[in-house]
Amino acid sequence: MNTKKLTYMAMLTTISLIIFIVELRIPTLAPIPGMKLGLANIITVYAVYTLNVKKVGMIVFARILLGSMFSGNISALIYSISGAVLCLLGMLILRKMIGKEQLWLCSIFGAIFHNIGQTAAAVFVMKTTTVIAYLPFLLVSGCIAGLFTGLCATYIIRSERYTMRSEETSR
Amino acid sequence: MSRNKVLAITAAVIFLGAVIWCAVILLKPKSNIVNITQDGTLLYSLDLSREKDRTFTVEYKDRKNTIEIKDGRIRMLEAECPDHICVDTGWLEDVPIVCLPNRLVIDHADKTDTDAQTR
Repeated sequence: MNTKKLTYMAMLTTISLIIFIVELRIPTLAPIPGMKLGLANIITVYAVYTLNVKKVGMIVFARILLGSMFSGNISALIYSISGAVLCLLGMLILRKMIGKEQLWLCSIFGAIFHNIGQTAAAVFVMKTTTVIAYLPFLLVSGCIAGLFTGLCATYIIRSERYTMRSEETSR
Repeated sequence: MSRNKVLAITAAVIFLGAVIWCAVILLKPKSNIVNITQDGTLLYSLDLSREKDRTFTVEYKDRKNTIEIKDGRIRMLEAECPDHICVDTGWLEDVPIVCLPNRLVIDHADKTDTDAQTR
């Protein structure tokens, strides 16, 4: 890994961490554990469509570990990690089927996988199936948030292409 | 039909399914029996219609959760945890009150169980 790639990945991690920390200040709409906008996943979805598996994993896990330390809620780490693992696996498989223009669809599935992973971890940790009652609420909010983050990533990729093209023509 | 269409329809079906599932949970008839579970073990099973107004604490690894019963309703009054989601949930209504850090769950017992008890 050369310096340029390392810097690029560090920058992506930093951006997603900043988004994550700003989002902590936004109060949650409903008192459902695990319900979040997940705006930091704009960078995750972007990375899934522009980088390889290893790099995406490194960016996401660095963000989750640092994010949980900064937010001071380390007990939530197991839920975030199990959600992220399932979400990344699902999105990396779907990446091959869904083109860049329909990226929002992949993002929605990512959110669905994340919610399922989270809930599975909660069932495992709490040793009760009661927490499954939260899954439908997480899925509804997750689908909407996933669509939003997916659309954000689509616009980033589109505008990036546009700037690259205009740079080429200006040369 | 293209693969994208199939996937888009799948996503829509999951979304609608989740909406219906939400409605089912919100509209389900609630029993008066409330179970308080910690780390998978049942601590208390209370009949809210007979309980007097009181507050009591449940401990988990030196962290306390204070539960309040008032006028036949139950809620988490205080919690020593980072997020306080369980306190924000308010009185127990449709969704269970869950404290993830302290592994505490307050939920209505299944309607079928209580029917069997009252008959």
